[in-house]
Amino acid sequence: MNFRPDYHTSIWEEIWDAVKLGLILIDSEGKVLLWNDWVAEHSGIPAEFASNNSLESLFPGGLSAPFKTAIKNALSHKLPIILSNALHRSPLPIYPLPITQHEQKRMQQSITITPICVSGKEHLCMIQIADASISVKREGVLKSHSERLSKEATTDGLTGAYNRRFFDERFAAEFGRAQRQNIPLSLIMLDVDYFKRYNDHYGHPAGDKILVAVVTALKAQLNRPTDVVVRYGGEEFAVILPDAEVDGGRIIAEKLRVAVADLSIPHCESKVADHITVSVGIAAYQPGTSCDATCLLKAADAALYDAKHNGRNCVRHLTSAEFSPSGLANEA
Amino acid sequence: MNPLSELQLDTLTEIFNIGAGRAASSLSEIVGDQVKLSVPRVQLYKSSDINAEVLSLNGLRVGAVKQSFSGPFDADAMLLFTEERAMEIVHDMMGSQVAIEDVAEFEQEAMCELGNIILNACLSSMADMLDLSLDSSLPIYSVGATDLILSQIVSEADQPVMLVLHIDLAIEKHLSQGYLVFLLSSSSLRELLAHIDRFISRI
Repeated sequence: MNFRPDYHTSIWEEIWDAVKLGLILIDSEGKVLLWNDWVAEHSGIPAEFASNNSLESLFPGGLSAPFKTAIKNALSHKLPIILSNALHRSPLPIYPLPITQHEQKRMQQSITITPICVSGKEHLCMIQIADASISVKREGVLKSHSERLSKEATTDGLTGAYNRRFFDERFAAEFGRAQRQNIPLSLIMLDVDYFKRYNDHYGHPAGDKILVAVVTALKAQLNRPTDVVVRYGGEEFAVILPDAEVDGGRIIAEKLRVAVADLSIPHCESKVADHITVSVGIAAYQPGTSCDATCLLKAADAALYDAKHNGRNCVRHLTSAEFSPSGLANEA
Repeated sequence: MNPLSELQLDTLTEIFNIGAGRAASSLSEIVGDQVKLSVPRVQLYKSSDINAEVLSLNGLRVGAVKQSFSGPFDADAMLLFTEERAMEIVHDMMGSQVAIEDVAEFEQEAMCELGNIILNACLSSMADMLDLSLDSSLPIYSVGATDLILSQIVSEADQPVMLVLHIDLAIEKHLSQGYLVFLLSSSSLRELLAHIDRFISRI
């Protein structure tokens, strides 16, 4: 760097203090030679006071052990050192502005220590302190964004149930796990009875409310975090019940049917009741049978079809012992 | 290619193991648990002979921390781990408060620091033992496809000789293997060997 001769050396001081970064220069003994305004403001220690003192006496008990080691190493080995925010967070007791009297959290920091050689013999050490809180905050924001996006990608916007995309992945994964670990898996498919008539009579906004109410009622019946409710399409829902045999699955299915009926939402166009009801089909995979994921899905669909054609507002079931990939084709 | 005598290689291995010991104590202080680091083997290669197979870097992607240093001899020093290993190391260093899927955000700066600690320790031990002084740049971390990073290293450096240190790093009983690579020109290698011979003659 070269300055025109008419610039005074005082320009260095101006620049030093204008930098939005903490700059500390120490000599080979560890005594402070320079201490810029940024450090003074964020540490609460004025430059006049800091000058010619060691960092340890300026921050008694406040320096982290790795920071002290880093300074010692930088002075003895004359090699540059970085202290990442990821591994150190806040090595120095400096604080966001304004510094208040009461307990305040230290600023998040990224530190760079560079040896500086003066006229070939004396070795000084420059410590740069960058405020890492913005990048820490940005990381937090990005993380919550990506969590929100992944939630949106897997959730049905209207009801808050999982969507079809999520179902396809989760169902395949759970089926694979059931096969590998030789455990049962139940799948429930259910459908709101005479939903089209409800929509025609009460209007689509009212229909939407029904779907939301049904999902809330279904979710309330499920206790395990692995049991998931999915909006499979229109007014059709699926519930995956890992590690549930057909008997257990039937009990849950019946609980779901009753929970929706107990909402007692009037439905004057229904032919089976005066309130909203659901038809429920359940199929269970039994380990050791020659059933694959597609076949289980078809079976649950077939059971639902059965419930629809046998009076609605009821539960019908199939187990994988009762169906085979070939046999089901006729039934469905 | 092996112009180094057994004695020279032993001396280098010894010097770097002293550096490794220094790095281990700095790392232990940060991790708050015992970290072990050693250099079981040092080998010399022609840069053009170096590829992923020779270095048995079996990951698809590799992370490299680089510092260029200068003094009586100049070299680019680089620490290499497969990206998978790098992530595990960062996870171990940060402790259990960070989930493994969150590590990616910290990989860059934490690996930079890890490389900085190991490279500085090896450089300083070399400077101390051989009684010379070395200057170094700040570390830069890059991550990418293994063959790409390796070919970049070889071509960029335009330096024909590579000193390869095998590194064993154990954090919380998790063992990782990586490499520390020094890229040297022929004249820098000659200078390094001259210093080593002087050191050997002193002991």
